[in-house]
Amino acid sequence: MSVTLERPVAAQPEEPPHRMGPVERLTSTDHKNVGILYCVTAFGFFLVGGALAGLMRVELAEPARQVVSTQAYNTMFTIHGTVMIFLFVAPFGIGLANYLIPLQIGAPDMAFPRLNLTSYWFFAGAGLLILLSGVASAGGGAAMGWYAYTPLSELRYSPGVGVDLWILGIVLVAISNVMGGVNILATVFLMRAPGMTMWRLPIFTWNMVVTAILGLVAFPPAVAAFALLFIDRRLGGHAFDPLGGGDPALYQHLFWFLGHPEVYILILPFFGIITEVIPVFSRKPLFGYLGLVLATMAIGALSMGVWAHHMFTTGVVSNPFFSAMSLLIAVPTGVKFFAWTGTMWKGKISFTVPMLFALGFLLNFLIGGVTGVMLASAPIDFHMNDSYFVVAHFHYTIMGGSVFAIFAGIYFWFPKMTGAMLRERLGRVVAVLLFVGFNLTFWPQFVLGLRGFPRRYVSYPPNIGFDTPNLVSTIGYAVMFSAMVVFLADVAVSLRRRVPAGDDPWGGNSLEWVTSSPPPEHNFDALPPIRSERPAFDLRHPELAP
Amino acid sequence: MMLALSAFGAISGTIYWFVTFEPAGTLLLWSFSLMPLIVAGYLVLHGAVRTRTLEDDPDARPDRAAGQELGTFPAASTWPVVLVLGSITVGASLVYGLLLLPVGLGVTALAVLGLMRESRS
Amino acid sequence: MTRALRSGRRATPAGLALLGTACSASFGMPRGATEQGADIFRLWQIFFIAAIPVAGVVYGLIFWSVIRYRRRRSEDPDALGSQFRGNHRLELVYMGIPILIVIGLFAASATVEVRVDRVSADPDVVVNVEAYRWGWRFTYPGRGVTIVSPPSGEFVAGPQMVLPIGQTTRIVLTANDVIHAFWVPDFLYKHDAIPGRTFVFDLTPTRAGTFYGECAEFCGLNHAYMTFSVRVVQPTEFTLWLAQMRAGQAAA
Repeated sequence: MSVTLERPVAAQPEEPPHRMGPVERLTSTDHKNVGILYCVTAFGFFLVGGALAGLMRVELAEPARQVVSTQAYNTMFTIHGTVMIFLFVAPFGIGLANYLIPLQIGAPDMAFPRLNLTSYWFFAGAGLLILLSGVASAGGGAAMGWYAYTPLSELRYSPGVGVDLWILGIVLVAISNVMGGVNILATVFLMRAPGMTMWRLPIFTWNMVVTAILGLVAFPPAVAAFALLFIDRRLGGHAFDPLGGGDPALYQHLFWFLGHPEVYILILPFFGIITEVIPVFSRKPLFGYLGLVLATMAIGALSMGVWAHHMFTTGVVSNPFFSAMSLLIAVPTGVKFFAWTGTMWKGKISFTVPMLFALGFLLNFLIGGVTGVMLASAPIDFHMNDSYFVVAHFHYTIMGGSVFAIFAGIYFWFPKMTGAMLRERLGRVVAVLLFVGFNLTFWPQFVLGLRGFPRRYVSYPPNIGFDTPNLVSTIGYAVMFSAMVVFLADVAVSLRRRVPAGDDPWGGNSLEWVTSSPPPEHNFDALPPIRSERPAFDLRHPELAP
Repeated sequence: MMLALSAFGAISGTIYWFVTFEPAGTLLLWSFSLMPLIVAGYLVLHGAVRTRTLEDDPDARPDRAAGQELGTFPAASTWPVVLVLGSITVGASLVYGLLLLPVGLGVTALAVLGLMRESRS
Repeated sequence: MTRALRSGRRATPAGLALLGTACSASFGMPRGATEQGADIFRLWQIFFIAAIPVAGVVYGLIFWSVIRYRRRRSEDPDALGSQFRGNHRLELVYMGIPILIVIGLFAASATVEVRVDRVSADPDVVVNVEAYRWGWRFTYPGRGVTIVSPPSGEFVAGPQMVLPIGQTTRIVLTANDVIHAFWVPDFLYKHDAIPGRTFVFDLTPTRAGTFYGECAEFCGLNHAYMTFSVRVVQPTEFTLWLAQMRAGQAAA
């Protein structure tokens, strides 16, 4: 069955949105449905990854403690990293993009709705395979670390099918990402509403454009690397096996050529969320729109050229080249920070829950960014590489940054997606608990890294300075856990005893706030004229419209 | 934008070669420079760059395009699930036993045919 | 004299005192027990000190805005802030200054890297370090001394490498199976050991003592139990130790 979609005519009477049954939810190609599928599934994986993190933190809380076997621990951190990166943060961004992009550009759906649904199912299938890879064969679960360095990931050192299933899972994730990227670019380039020029796009949409390009360009070399690894393992290859004339360093090049842009895929959509939230709750236009877009493009481009800063201690790459490029990325990121603070300057700031998470993002991500600059110096990295300092750095950026932005986005767009508001009081509790818990968990890890605690260690000797920070870190986890309990309670309560949100509960700027909550099947009954990057705002304040 | 990305890839790849003489990274950066050209090429060939569409007209009024048909989109489809199941089976066959391979390929082919027929309807 | 200049003059001695304290603060990092490590330590101080004003400015802007520009409860929820969209001069400034900072940081970093990477043409001691799953073999070629890890497990005392203080030791690093990494946190230095390749680096210890060492690249099951230690002693004691070890191993 197919549907012919047209550009909206005059205002039509609103049909009440019909509730979807489970089968319809799983097969509908409506971008809003696919977006929600993505976000809910990704959040489920967050809880799985978080549970694994909890087990790891319990193991590390005290030096003498051994709650899981070493093999199990090694599998846990492998799956934790894989799940969080490939099955939570990245797909959540894509899910939000699927939901929001057509709404923000004034289109009725994505350019390729069935491809959209297919990319979701590839993601779900990949998730299944990756979880399976953790438990597959007894003692043979994937336990080689999420970057699967060779020769450790070769068959000789990782027997069993765990790594193979993991490779398949990642390849499916790559396919899903490429499909999603194609869809996003086609939609944004070719389906914008009249008057929605590229320079009036909401920044979230712009950031997704750059994210999509990064996905398209970065995943293929990694798929090549994994294919070669699979061939090495199962089909008699020696691409990465020094005993057969291969080179483990080649794997690292191919992997990190994806690996580094991947972390920008993990942050750019979330920069976009923050850039949507801050102007709305400062009641001001975004400061420096053009600079921000150019900075995003610069970050995207530069991110392709820094991959070997993960290889500073290997001795096989030009450290100065990569150090210089990595230090340069700090500049456009700084531009973004000043755009955000410039937006708040002389505004009228209200501390709604999305804004609280956005502020948490700013405070956390700055630390992540500054520590990234430190790591960009090769000699400093000689000490810090593969230590908990790096773990703390990337958790400050991905968790303190992206995950905080995810919660900002959830509290901001949940009313649009469901028609019901989340509870403000409970939301504040979640925000405070998460902020405190997060910093308690990861600040001590900077200390651990500086003192010499390496990554991926299941245990440590007592009384050499690792005890207290580890304990504090585990306490922080407990606080974050309680934040998640409160959050899930908030969602449950808000869906049961609904407080209607209306079209525009926040006074939003972009087009999604012009239509109903949730939007009708074709998104818009009528579109306002689009004269700036804030069409909804202009509609409310015609006296200020450009 | 595509051309700028492509230029960045080409320039940084070239600088990288002369700084390091490292083949893998150089090849990666040069390939990165070729990929946006594919997108740029399509856009140029299909005239999307030259013609001024309504969406790029800063003064366009939305009712100008009212009723303009955008295309036909399928409302729901079960074939994506089938396609993924087929792909997983093909993958699993490489790990668990080639006996699964014809099953996987068959299911995948079925899904592809189903999707194609669906586009026609 | 303007008020700014006057308060600037008053602040300067305080500022200098603060800078002086900062220059001797370690900001959490071990001080580096080798010449190379001391270089890295000073670089860390530079980066940390540079980060302080950056964080200060950004946090300052955030906290100031949040306090000064918050909507008071009495105000209309739809009250608008000042509707400016940008300031080109300011944008160029906040792009230009970070570029300068980054260039400075790169210059400092590259200079230190050249020094740390420098390998002497004529080291006083050479130690071959082989990493394997899950332990280390230290060989002093030409001196007839080899030290091997006992079978690894729960934090048994690993092998100990002895080095002379103030002399340059060349480490020749290899791996037999998967990638490992040789890390002595007190030296602020690690290097990966990649099978199929040999790496060389210099250590010139400046402090006596026993320093904890670990494997810093995940290598499988007992990755956490591949610890070792480096004991730095006076050159005379080192010569003595070598002789004892050679005798002991010749007897064995």
